[in-house]
Amino acid sequence: MKTIVSAAALLAASLFAIPASAENLVLYTSQPNEDAQATVDGFMAANPDIKVDWVRDGTPKIMAKLQAEIEAGNPVADVLLIADTVTLERLKEAGKLMAYKSPEAANYDASLFDADGYYYSTKLITTGIIYNTSATLKPTSWKDLTKPEAKGLVTMPSPLTSGAALIHAQTLAGVDGLGWDFYKDLAGNGATAAGGNGAILKAVASGEKAYGVIVDYMPIREKAKGAPVEFVFPAEGVSAVTEPVGILSTAKNAEAAKKFVDYVLSEKGQEGFLKLGYIPARNGMKVPEGFPARDTIKVLPINAATALKSTDADLKTFSGIYGSN
Amino acid sequence: MYGYVRPGNSQPAWLFPFIILVVIVLSVLPMARLAVTGVSALANGGAMAVLSDPALWSATYYTLVTAVFGTMISLIIGCAFAFLLTLTDIRGKGLLSFLFVLPMMIPPQVTALAWVQMSGPSSPLLKALHIAPPLGTPQPLYSVGGIALLYGVQHAPLVYLALRASLMALPRDGVEAARLSGASSLRVFRDIILPLSLPGIIAGAAISFVSCTGNFGIPAILGIPASIYTLPTLIFTKFSAFTSRTFGDVALLSAIIAIISVAGLAIQDRALRGRDYRVLGLSGATATFELGYWRLLFTPILWVTLFFMLAAPFFALLAGALVPAYGVPLTFKTMTFNAFSEILFRQAVTRTAFFNSLSLSAGTAVCLLGVTLLTAYTLTRRKDLLGRIVASVIEIPYSLPGIVVAVSFILVFAAPIPIIHVTLYGTVWIILIAYLSSFFAVSLKPVVSAFHQLDPALEEAARLAGAGFFRRLKDIIVPLIAPAAGASVILVFLIACNELTISALLWSAGTQTLGVAIYNLDDSGSSDLASALSVLVVLMVVFMMLLLELLAKRLPKGVVPWRN
Repeated sequence: MKTIVSAAALLAASLFAIPASAENLVLYTSQPNEDAQATVDGFMAANPDIKVDWVRDGTPKIMAKLQAEIEAGNPVADVLLIADTVTLERLKEAGKLMAYKSPEAANYDASLFDADGYYYSTKLITTGIIYNTSATLKPTSWKDLTKPEAKGLVTMPSPLTSGAALIHAQTLAGVDGLGWDFYKDLAGNGATAAGGNGAILKAVASGEKAYGVIVDYMPIREKAKGAPVEFVFPAEGVSAVTEPVGILSTAKNAEAAKKFVDYVLSEKGQEGFLKLGYIPARNGMKVPEGFPARDTIKVLPINAATALKSTDADLKTFSGIYGSN
Repeated sequence: MYGYVRPGNSQPAWLFPFIILVVIVLSVLPMARLAVTGVSALANGGAMAVLSDPALWSATYYTLVTAVFGTMISLIIGCAFAFLLTLTDIRGKGLLSFLFVLPMMIPPQVTALAWVQMSGPSSPLLKALHIAPPLGTPQPLYSVGGIALLYGVQHAPLVYLALRASLMALPRDGVEAARLSGASSLRVFRDIILPLSLPGIIAGAAISFVSCTGNFGIPAILGIPASIYTLPTLIFTKFSAFTSRTFGDVALLSAIIAIISVAGLAIQDRALRGRDYRVLGLSGATATFELGYWRLLFTPILWVTLFFMLAAPFFALLAGALVPAYGVPLTFKTMTFNAFSEILFRQAVTRTAFFNSLSLSAGTAVCLLGVTLLTAYTLTRRKDLLGRIVASVIEIPYSLPGIVVAVSFILVFAAPIPIIHVTLYGTVWIILIAYLSSFFAVSLKPVVSAFHQLDPALEEAARLAGAGFFRRLKDIIVPLIAPAAGASVILVFLIACNELTISALLWSAGTQTLGVAIYNLDDSGSSDLASALSVLVVLMVVFMMLLLELLAKRLPKGVVPWRN
């Protein structure tokens, strides 16, 4: 009996010893798990006295989680590292972000960060086409996906799950010759839209679908590991997000959060992204293996202010074409 | 002891009020809060928006269809195993029974993940065997049929256990009388055993139906990619797109799930009424059929079924964890342990998840043990109406799907607690409280049945000899209840460890459970990592079940569910 009681006491004690997450820096990010862990590991190696708890989910979902926490009066996150600046711009306007002038900003193009220091772009992530190497048609342009050979074989991430997918839709919608009609043609060709970029990679690598719309680093990295996939920068150009970092105005660990911002912008932090297969945002950095030179990638423009205003309408348009997912 | 003890009653005065308080916090408060939010959403017109949303009705439809077909499949598999393993002289019953109950203890999202890896063009297993379907073939499991099939596999053990309990109580003399009168085995089965085991079959069907309705892991992995939403996954997606209306909306959706579950249980009650089967004679002795040559047919059928339910999905899961990238066929050359080393040594989330799940389950099991000991003690000694009401109120959160419990606790604790101004939402404590509420009934059952077997005279004697309440508890009651209490702890621990539905809504940074970690890894496209973690979880479950199996000899009959 004594052993049972002492075992119970031990278990109870271990339960109460759960570290309160309030003491640690809390990062909400949309990076895939392995990349998030690598970023956090790099940061903790540079700042051994700071511990990081992180949560990973698609940008819209992580924002929903944050929104629910704000509503409940207990936002847990200190720092955000999510897909796009449009989302952070909205948070800035709602007064949810803290301004911080990072000394590293000098090494960045002025278009890549907020002049008041509310957020900083950390990398360039473009969205292009992935195809399974056993597919018959080798697509070279967005329009190729509407061809009969691709009927029923195309899939794309949903803007309701992926921040990059939302920016992508908003970018293509503004391009002459593509626009929402392109999305309607795709839907007419049997394309599906669901889940995040990870799901697209799985569907195409596995052969459930032959073609997909996806962020660049996933297929390029998986191809290097031997997966039967290929990535294409389509002729019309690609959309891009810049995965910005920003500190919440309610951050409980503002000092640690500032160090995190400095770290991801620093040369070391940027090299970490490079190693993971991302194009770093910092000036004078190389591109990862498997990528064309940075100036040969044609990035389609997006008007952030319009995108911010039309987000709800765009989501509705998209849902109207692809159903409510 | 005067002053602490009411005259004519051996219990301390604080005991019953304490239990009422616990039940109010764990059962009454969250359910009342859910009802209030639902009703106010109805009142201020928000309900019309929800009720006129086609997504709601399609989710209700899919929930019902998958649950009904899932229940049918679980009935077929569960009944076959229960009849063959309980009534016949088939060999290897102990092992078959242990293996058959295993799927119930494995987290549903792991089952789903394993089956996905087993079928479709993506399957590393089929690719390794060169029998994978061609490019562009849709994954066959991403469908209503796929969800129903996996519901059937996951919940067949529930039917098995329910039917088995009623088969064990079959009177031997009825069967013998029929035999002596010259009835064939088939006739005995049809005219005596089948009618008498009907209550067990109906009870099994009802449990299976309610579990299907509330399942989250399977439709989350199989349904969401195909845009097939059931009510629990719809609630989950509503939370993923949080707006100011979300709380009211999910309260209504939860109410619909609750209504479906209650309707399922009501149908069961209805079906069982009018069938008063009291059996006289030697119960507990099982009637045995000799299979004879039929054994050569049934033994392989059972083992092949188990192979497809357990071994094949497990090897597919293992294959999925060993490939270097999704879509690469598994060969000795491509095989890599990267996913395992990433999960074990690099991903901080795995450690956090193991720590959280283990300590949450241990905390739930131990806290509940203390409460259930006192509750069972009180309830078995109080025969009044209030006692019966308390007993049935404890059952409510257990019979409701986990997602409903999670939603109601979010509603209770989303705002800071008045007076002390502490916010529980987003902390590990809200998960603990929801677990306590949801698993209270699981923990209570074995302990109550042990108390029923306990002779009150022992305790009365101690009381007359002047022993105080705690002294009696320590010296008389606890030692006699200990085996049942131990089983209750292990059962709660196992169930809580594999839980996903509640924590999927309640987790936050640093409070991920194993279930959440697996789901999130798969969702972010790291299916190799998700598979590797799943393999570890399956091994952990098997290890704990083996532990229980080893303990079984020391435990009272019926405590380890899969044993005779």
